[in-house]
Amino acid sequence: MTARSLRARLPCMTHTSHAPVFCTIIPPHVLDKIARNEDQALADPARRTLEQDAALRTRRRLATVSAIGPVPAGAPSDLPNRTVYDAKHRTDLPGKKVRPEGHNPVKDITVNRAYDGLGATFELYLKAYNRHSIDDSGMPLIASVHYDEGYNNAFWNGEQMVFGDGDGEIFNDFTISLDVIGHELTHGVTYHTANLEYFSQSGALNESLSDVFGSLVKQYALQQTADQADWLIGAGLLAPRVTGVALRSMKAPGTAYDDDVLGKDPQPATMEHYVHTGRDNGGVHINSGIPNHAFYLVAEALGGHAWEKAGQIWYDTLTGGELGPNADFAAFAALTVASARARYGDGDEHKAVLDAWGQVGVPAAESAPESVPESA
Amino acid sequence: MRISVTRSGGFAGIERQAALDTNGRPDAFHLHGLARDALAAGEAAPPRGVPDGFQYTITVDGRTVHCADPQLTQAQRELVRTILKEGS
Repeated sequence: MTARSLRARLPCMTHTSHAPVFCTIIPPHVLDKIARNEDQALADPARRTLEQDAALRTRRRLATVSAIGPVPAGAPSDLPNRTVYDAKHRTDLPGKKVRPEGHNPVKDITVNRAYDGLGATFELYLKAYNRHSIDDSGMPLIASVHYDEGYNNAFWNGEQMVFGDGDGEIFNDFTISLDVIGHELTHGVTYHTANLEYFSQSGALNESLSDVFGSLVKQYALQQTADQADWLIGAGLLAPRVTGVALRSMKAPGTAYDDDVLGKDPQPATMEHYVHTGRDNGGVHINSGIPNHAFYLVAEALGGHAWEKAGQIWYDTLTGGELGPNADFAAFAALTVASARARYGDGDEHKAVLDAWGQVGVPAAESAPESVPESA
Repeated sequence: MRISVTRSGGFAGIERQAALDTNGRPDAFHLHGLARDALAAGEAAPPRGVPDGFQYTITVDGRTVHCADPQLTQAQRELVRTILKEGS
């Protein structure tokens, strides 16, 4: 087993924890042995995983001990409040309640995946950004699965997640991809913060933010660094007969698929190839490739865990209060530059952000009043 | 009656198009009813919809209306499903 393949796997967490149950293959006693291996590349991830597991178990135990005392009134919980519903192939929402928070895993793996995905999203936002659920006030996380029949889609309806099963020909069950779940819930975060208009460039930014944080949810769950991440969106979604690796690639927009039925991935990586269309709300899923790629470039330049610096800069921009609903790419870029400088000063981070926007062809003149505007 | 449907948006942002002619079909009468109801409930311009929801245009003998997930009526939903499945 290589260090890389070990890092790609996590042990099965107790189902009572809100940590995700992904790639649940290696039992704790095996991890324990590996954690004592002389090779640090093998031992470190195993040790970290065991620590994470232990911390969660301890926290769960502490939460039930009355000596801790009640949570101060008004403080949102550090635990998610999830409910998964079964829409039973109809389109009435939410459907039948099948797994509330704290409930054991059920027979339906789709339900369990949705439950875990909601938890993983909650976990990233809490641990990385101290955000308590989508609205930062402990909002309940609701998902309905088995929506409609052979429904090749998942969406956020303004209040909850809705998952289709896919038709098996083109797409699999939409709960398969952790980044899809993170993507959808991030639409809720955007709604509660910058509320970017879902049209044209502001819509493409809205989409991109969902891909960025959706990808970070996956990377966080797998504890991957930027170079370990695949930077693909919907990697597990494509059915076997489809020629492609994912729905989108942040690392290489336009290369995710090329199939006789689906067509070719239409995403541009740079402004030069911006797609002007009336469909898809002005191409919001297409032109998101440009800001997606900018984020990837920042993450790659800075290295390490992408949620820590690149993600922090993007999060600061989204939630800082200056990003308006009609922002275009240039306005967003300028704010990311300002956010990088505000948080990290005039260093590698600021430079990486400027360079990234320059590479994708978006002018990122910083708009902070006390600084001289720089053009990319 | 010629009915065509375009579906765009969705999580994948992939567009699908299909059309069919009801002439000679055993379900022509049923499809005509669906088409009539779908047109009546459709919008003149694409509604904004919800993030990652599908956007649809339905064209019946040259007349086009728009609708979007999750607000489709039963008639729109069934019509879209039939055309996308059986049209070309």
